[in-house]
Amino acid sequence: MPSKSWKEFSKGFVVENPTFVQALGMCPTLATTTSAKNGFGMGLAATAVLVMSNIVISLLRKTVPEKIRIPIFITIIASFVTIVDLLMHAFVYDLWKTLGLFIPLIVVNCIIMGRAEAFASKNNVWYSLLDGLGMGLGFTASLTLLGAIRELLGSGTLFDITIWGKAFNVFIMILPPGAYLTLGLLAALFAFIGMKRKERGNNK
Amino acid sequence: MKEIMKTGLTLMIFTLVAGLALGIVYQLTKEPINSAELQNMLKAVEFVLTDKGNLMVDKQLIEKRVSDVVKQEEKEIFKTEKGVVLTPVIKFQINGGDVYVLKAYGIGYGGKVITVASFLVRNGRIDLHAIKVIEYSQETPGLGAKIAEEKSQERFYPIPYEGLMNGVKVDKDAGKTGLDPETAKKAGIVKISDVMTGATITPRAVANSIQAMFQYLKTEVKNNAQ
Repeated sequence: MPSKSWKEFSKGFVVENPTFVQALGMCPTLATTTSAKNGFGMGLAATAVLVMSNIVISLLRKTVPEKIRIPIFITIIASFVTIVDLLMHAFVYDLWKTLGLFIPLIVVNCIIMGRAEAFASKNNVWYSLLDGLGMGLGFTASLTLLGAIRELLGSGTLFDITIWGKAFNVFIMILPPGAYLTLGLLAALFAFIGMKRKERGNNK
Repeated sequence: MKEIMKTGLTLMIFTLVAGLALGIVYQLTKEPINSAELQNMLKAVEFVLTDKGNLMVDKQLIEKRVSDVVKQEEKEIFKTEKGVVLTPVIKFQINGGDVYVLKAYGIGYGGKVITVASFLVRNGRIDLHAIKVIEYSQETPGLGAKIAEEKSQERFYPIPYEGLMNGVKVDKDAGKTGLDPETAKKAGIVKISDVMTGATITPRAVANSIQAMFQYLKTEVKNNAQ
């Protein structure tokens, strides 16, 4: 029997994967996954914000009045995003340049608001931290996977390392339609895995 | 009434704390951000001032000039139909003339494509020495973003005065895709369709930037000098 901690941490990977199962945070998912590196960077930035906001919101969950919880959550999340933006600008300049507009957009990434509202405001700090970390890493893995597939098929490289170069390039994969195609196919795969798990559960 | 006050005050405390935290982080990252921006610009300027592996101008002088100008606010100083020249304009004296380092942008596929370029101004001529594309983050990876690669950028320089007078164009727009890169440069044509297959918009933005910088030097600087 896995512990509750492990359960809260690992649910973000497959069972409740934010991208392919919950379909949250689609804007950065579609826009930044043109390469594995970009997807990975975006995922990590979102994870950092998610973990910090989950911790703080969970700590404050008893002091925040019900009526104004949303504006307070937004203030907290927006502050952390700005902090991450400033820190990235200062210390990882090239990645900051590449991700550009999408860092400030983490504010409106539904995953962060969603986890604040659905989880961190109802659970203790330890579980909220695990939830944030798990969801964040699930998001990062999804974006990296999506980016890797698109980069490989579109440019023949993986993390900027040439795999087959120009021998087999499908231009559409690195253009916006490629994001929708890949995302759709992966979401179908996750739904299939979900179905199989359920069937197996029923047979037991 | 009492409840409204209480809610309002709670919200105020939260925003005050958040504001304070942001202020502290801003102060802490101010210096590192400035130095990251400076290093980025410095790298580009040093690159375009390199001639056959050697800097044309003293390294310390470059550093001093760049760190002076990088703090100033960016302004648009000259516009053509398709390109805009930005501040700073950095001028160095070299043997027999001046070398200008300029910054300009053209509109690419997703937004501004910013190029830093060096021009040799001497004997009544203006020659393009080298370029470095410093901002291309909105271009499509694998297509337009290939402009970042050295082998794409070196197709843009050097372009002699005669070529610049013709107007810098990418090979597809000039209708001459069969030329070899070096011959093409002499006529102001950027042979790019073989290294950046399928992408025309991004190199066109760079060509337009070069053209804008050349026009700026020709009208603003050369006329004043005479």
